[in-house]
Amino acid sequence: MKKLLQSLFMLMLFAVSANAQERTITGTVTAQDDKLPIPGVSIKVLGTTLGTSTDPNGKYSLKVPSTAKSIEFSSIGFTTLTREIGTLTVINVALSSDSKQLGEVVVTALGVSREKKTLGYSSTQVGSDEINRGAPTNAVAGLQGKVAGVDISTTSGSPGGSSKVILRGFSSVGGNNQPLYVIDGVPINNSRPGGTSAPGTVGDVSENYDFGNGANDINPNDIETISILKGAAASSLYGSRASSGVILITTKKGKAGALKIDLSSAASFTNVAIVPSIQDQYGQGWSKQNWLAENGSWGPKLDGMTRPWGSIVNGDQEMKPFVAIKDNFRDAFDTGQEYNNSLALSGGNETSTFHLSYGNIYSNGILPGANDVYKRNNLSLSGSTKYKGLTVSASANYVGKNTRAVQTGQAVSGIGSSFYEDLLQIPVDYPFTNFKDYNNKFYNVDNYFSPFSQNPYYSIYENGSRFKSDRFYGNVDVKYKATDWLSFQFQQGADLTNNASKFWNAKNNPAIGSWAGGGNDEGYTRQESVGNVIEGSERYFEYDSKLNALFNKKIGTDFDINALIGVNYNDRGYRSLYTGVENLAIPGFYQINNSANDPTSTSAETERRLFGAYASATLGYKNYAFLTLNARNDWSSTLPANNRSFFYPGANLAVVLSDALDLSSAKISFLKVRAAVGQTGSDTDPYRIFNTLSRTSAALGFGNIIFPIAGVPGYSVSDVLNNPDLRPEISTETEFGGEIRFFNNRLGLDVSYYNRVTKDQIIPVVTAPSSGVTSRVVNFGKVRNRGVEIALTGTPVKNENFTWDIGYTFTRNRNVVLELPDGLDKLILNSAYDAQFVARVGQPLGVLEAPIPKYDPQGRIVVGSNGFPLLDDNNGSYGTSQRDFIMGLTNSFKFKEFTLGFTLDYRKGGVFYSGTADLLNFVGNDIKTLYNDRRTFIIPNSVVQVTNPGGGVTYVENTTPITEGNVNALYYTNNGKAVAYQNRILDKTFLKVRDITLSYSLPKSVAQKIRADKATLTVYGRNLITWLPKENRTIDPEVSNFGNDLTSEFGEFRTGPSVRNVGLSLNLTF
Amino acid sequence: MKNILRKTQVLAFSTLLIVTSCKKLDINESPNNPGVESATVETLFPSAVISTVSRTGGDLSIIGGIWSQFWTQNNNSSQFRTVDSYDVQATSNFINGPYSELFAGALTDYQLGITKSVAAQDWRYNLMNTVMKAYTYQVLVDLFDKVPYTEALKAGGNLQPKFDDGYTIYTSLIAEINAALAKDYKTNPLTAAQIKTDFVFGKKGTSADVMASWEKFANTLKLKMYLRMVNAKPNEAQAGILKLYQDGAKFLDEDAEVNIFTDVPNKSNPFYEYNFRRLNTPDNLKASTTFTSWLNLHNDPRAEVYFGAPNPVPSINQGDYLGGAEHPEYNDAVNVVVNATDAVPIISKAESYFMQAESRARYFGGAGAKELYDLGLDAAFAKVGLTNPAIYPYPASTNIEVNIEAIIVQKWASLFGSHALEAFFEQNRTGYPKTTTLYSTATGYVPGQLVYTPNGVTGAGNFPRRFVYPDFEKSRNSNTPAQVPIYTKVWWGK
Repeated sequence: MKKLLQSLFMLMLFAVSANAQERTITGTVTAQDDKLPIPGVSIKVLGTTLGTSTDPNGKYSLKVPSTAKSIEFSSIGFTTLTREIGTLTVINVALSSDSKQLGEVVVTALGVSREKKTLGYSSTQVGSDEINRGAPTNAVAGLQGKVAGVDISTTSGSPGGSSKVILRGFSSVGGNNQPLYVIDGVPINNSRPGGTSAPGTVGDVSENYDFGNGANDINPNDIETISILKGAAASSLYGSRASSGVILITTKKGKAGALKIDLSSAASFTNVAIVPSIQDQYGQGWSKQNWLAENGSWGPKLDGMTRPWGSIVNGDQEMKPFVAIKDNFRDAFDTGQEYNNSLALSGGNETSTFHLSYGNIYSNGILPGANDVYKRNNLSLSGSTKYKGLTVSASANYVGKNTRAVQTGQAVSGIGSSFYEDLLQIPVDYPFTNFKDYNNKFYNVDNYFSPFSQNPYYSIYENGSRFKSDRFYGNVDVKYKATDWLSFQFQQGADLTNNASKFWNAKNNPAIGSWAGGGNDEGYTRQESVGNVIEGSERYFEYDSKLNALFNKKIGTDFDINALIGVNYNDRGYRSLYTGVENLAIPGFYQINNSANDPTSTSAETERRLFGAYASATLGYKNYAFLTLNARNDWSSTLPANNRSFFYPGANLAVVLSDALDLSSAKISFLKVRAAVGQTGSDTDPYRIFNTLSRTSAALGFGNIIFPIAGVPGYSVSDVLNNPDLRPEISTETEFGGEIRFFNNRLGLDVSYYNRVTKDQIIPVVTAPSSGVTSRVVNFGKVRNRGVEIALTGTPVKNENFTWDIGYTFTRNRNVVLELPDGLDKLILNSAYDAQFVARVGQPLGVLEAPIPKYDPQGRIVVGSNGFPLLDDNNGSYGTSQRDFIMGLTNSFKFKEFTLGFTLDYRKGGVFYSGTADLLNFVGNDIKTLYNDRRTFIIPNSVVQVTNPGGGVTYVENTTPITEGNVNALYYTNNGKAVAYQNRILDKTFLKVRDITLSYSLPKSVAQKIRADKATLTVYGRNLITWLPKENRTIDPEVSNFGNDLTSEFGEFRTGPSVRNVGLSLNLTF
Repeated sequence: MKNILRKTQVLAFSTLLIVTSCKKLDINESPNNPGVESATVETLFPSAVISTVSRTGGDLSIIGGIWSQFWTQNNNSSQFRTVDSYDVQATSNFINGPYSELFAGALTDYQLGITKSVAAQDWRYNLMNTVMKAYTYQVLVDLFDKVPYTEALKAGGNLQPKFDDGYTIYTSLIAEINAALAKDYKTNPLTAAQIKTDFVFGKKGTSADVMASWEKFANTLKLKMYLRMVNAKPNEAQAGILKLYQDGAKFLDEDAEVNIFTDVPNKSNPFYEYNFRRLNTPDNLKASTTFTSWLNLHNDPRAEVYFGAPNPVPSINQGDYLGGAEHPEYNDAVNVVVNATDAVPIISKAESYFMQAESRARYFGGAGAKELYDLGLDAAFAKVGLTNPAIYPYPASTNIEVNIEAIIVQKWASLFGSHALEAFFEQNRTGYPKTTTLYSTATGYVPGQLVYTPNGVTGAGNFPRRFVYPDFEKSRNSNTPAQVPIYTKVWWGK
């Protein structure tokens, strides 16, 4: 108050004496947070057109007329500040950061930066600090729980594993539901290696090895912002590939000023997060007996007595107490390490800038030894230079990866074995850690206790894979400003990847008469593993050219127009070649020639081209109402010549009511309503028009017979009928929403409602085999996604020393299949044993269906003469993979130099199939196998069907029990098939603490001692806590080895667990 | 003005790009797969034959052999439990897999092969394709009773083909065979390269020999189809067989079989490849007491070949996979012996003789039946490298059924391995080997009689008689008939 009076007094005093003289005001603008100078702050003398901006050191000098009363400091990302001039000649200000600032500029389609308020659709932009808070190795992992309408999963706990990003639900039944990733305006390749070979052929490894998707290659430290374009209105200018949304990545650029060095160094420990809960009542054996060769826990009740266990080798057998081993699963794994280092140099002058960065990741996962390792080197250089109206910028990026991964999923029997599959089959009273010594005489190939499985650690060390990838991507961007309202832009991008991979399984066979070679108590001989080696190479290419003309003009006083028109040409594809051979001659030597067998190969190449022309115009009225119209036409090589051209328009409207009306009395600082309607068109995969032959491979149920045979080649009519009449897929989306902020932007709410209908989808749908083909490519059906996205932001506390920021997101997407092709009541999307993941009309895309028991008219279970439930003729529904809702909560507490932040991610509802649960139930390790204490019992409320002589059917009470010795058969999919899936299809709900970070920014005085401008030390934890509902005690529902798209929503098949990280990072800026 | 000029330039450039890109977009022909128009009979025919035998000699024989009780599910493993308990549902891969492969894999290729050879007036491949198509269809009819025929294999032309009844399909197939036999398939000899593409008779070397064998195969297949009709269409069966004899038809005196398999992954006998190479344990199929007790009763030396063990062969009672606790001796049961290089028979020499013997017994007052029966036994033992020990004399009874039982039981014993599906069909047609209500552990059990499996879900005595309609068809073709239980006999069943 005293200060205010003082100022007023001064003002009055000088108002009187002021005359029309000019004077110069100088000063420095710094950021309140880090006290660093802010370059480029715009400084305006209020009431005049005079102004300037700060230099790279945050300094300014401004001549002001003596009539001037105050000056305004504004900069993107900071709260605008107005200062009275008074008599001052030096005005130093500190701006506080404000991510919700009104003039926020966001990157929109085609890399055009626009003021957020002009957009008629929901748009979210996340900055570098937020992304890198927990030092993730892939950029999207840093977004989990932070953006409404976005479902981000890490599908693998293995280092460098894939991530899955789904914007506004699944809409493409067979196509790609992953968003398009665009870096600095250029689309990049986001494919997963190992998916180019046809199922069942050499090189079809995508379910067994996860080497990560293409978008994971980007160094998160290089990212300035990520913009998420969710709806058709936002993304349609990107054309057909954007029908599932766009993730727009803008990389860091050099800024004029002194050389800046950013160093970021993080080190963390990795631990297994969720392991299956295992029963602790019954020990090794089968049918309540202690068969020593059995790979399960169907044996006698654990009694703590010291007993011999495992194989008998030369009369020796080990002894141990007959008890369940505590933490057995957790101890099966090691503590992994992850190092994430990044160094960036940037700088420039008024005309030219550069940014050079190097990133290095070394991550050794949770498996023992260096058998799951991810090494990545990123080198990026970007720069730009200006000459008059011409700006040329370019970026070049190299990513080198070297990965070793162990096999997940099902091993090919007779060739090798898989760690997770073998681990799940070890009895609960057997110490997993013992088996790590896989050459020990009791645990080696000859004497592993069970001939039905192999020592899991053998496969870790002796089987394996190696994946190397070299990738280059970059672009050249030429802009020419022809006049003050017209500029042209040409951009050429390229993305080239070369992958080389090698997979091997060791040859081994228990010696005849050894424990596993038939010398066990069941006389059973383990199947020989003949071993194999596969070498593969994949080359991906993508070239993208764009030419745009951009208009920006004021029309009269009230209107302005902002428009662009352009053309785009995209050429992309891949070539792959895999060669493999089974049955190695010399054990341990992995080379294609090391076999008596001939190697087999698969090769594939695809190429597709797309030409697009587009236009977009935003008409602004008085800077508060904005109408955008856009349209694009594509010509795709993948569609029939007469249907290859397709057009899709869109429009959106934004009205900033708080600018149009004065709402300040209602404490409303900002109010905007928006509406959008848009379409996106989509083409299909290449080579779906003309019918083909394929090399003959006769499927056997298990295995194949593949030509050439006996020196005779075979080509047969392809089982897939292509379609010369395909049309493009079209999605139509409407979106309504609004943003409102109160109390000087302290509280904000952003709500969107959308409705998207995708029709004429192109996929091969199954066909009655009697037609001569098993599937045909068609346009079919309709899928609708409707949903609500809510983002709430607030700053409950804000003062000089303490700030509390809170962000909450809520997403609810309702998906429904509206139509299926003629003659089909369901479409199978994925399956495992008898569980199917299907699309059905009127239900969400992806319903889990599996065998159910037969019921009599009174609802009692009908059992067979053996007392086991009979199967209903048709599968029943176990629920859908769709979530009820997703919620995210971020909190950030800032006290002086300390910042504490955490993010919660809660996903409620949905079910998934677990192949891990399947095996745990089969071998009696699952906690659910304790039902009725495994005693003899009659299926409750069960009946048997009696057919009377007259043919009538009656049901009488069942008296046949399931005996103690056969209880195990109830848990597997033979006799117990009707009820077994209840234990295999699990609730998908989870709550995770995605990240917890505690940062400390060193005081400038301390930082400067090491010559740093800024130094921050952060302790972070990623995925530290995971909470699962009691129905799922088995596996993290996020993991999947069915890829990272719709099919992965089905669940997992014996894949690895998820992981958590705890680490320390240091960020230095010089 | 300058700006308008620029705009025009942009527009012109864009138009140019559109025009040039039209040609650039014509890149949609697959570099990975040849167009269907480039198919040749030489690459289609061997493909289709392998598709047929990969199923008839693979999983269908495994199932046929479980239901004919040559072998049974090991109690220590579980792969075929649903088969051994007669619990094979429409969604099961045991049903969908063969159905799909036989239609979309084999029949489509035979059909295109026929179309191509008719267009080229190549009556050799026309006959070969027609006979193999008929054989494949016969298997489908015998498994499913009704399948699409008249409206089938039209790809996009008809996605919901109607089902035809088995008898109509049989008579149509016979007519197709007759039409193919009526053409001149002898004048133009097959080239050496073409002979190599014939996995059935190509080893005979000369075109004349190959085509003569196909003619015999065609006649023997007709004989087999007529014999299938003896219950449902006795008059037509008799007329058809008598006509064959009147016309002086020659029947197979050699094996019609595919014998090109090697012990190399993906190139082996399909039974071996499936059950021994690719399953997670090779110990799924164990000797069934039903069959081993019969071999033991007769001290049949084939025990050593079929099971690698002398009589009495250690075995498991049929279907008793949950009985391991009470039967520790099950752990000693031996595997079936099927080798990677074993042939897949289509119609074996022995089978041909046994069918001729049955025809003689039925329609010629038994004249010549004994000789043909003995030839059948000679062939059956020779096939497994043994000399007929003459332990099975022909009964030559006045009761035809006694003679037929002897013939069919011997046929059953000869159909071990990749031919076991036929044993299932013939049991359904003739009722031999007989079924019993006793279990093989019971006193009074007659060795070799088929027992009802202890875990059966169909109710005692309800043996499987067919496959249920597959889900692959049912869920995609609304013309699929209503489901009937697995124990409902097919149209020709007894």
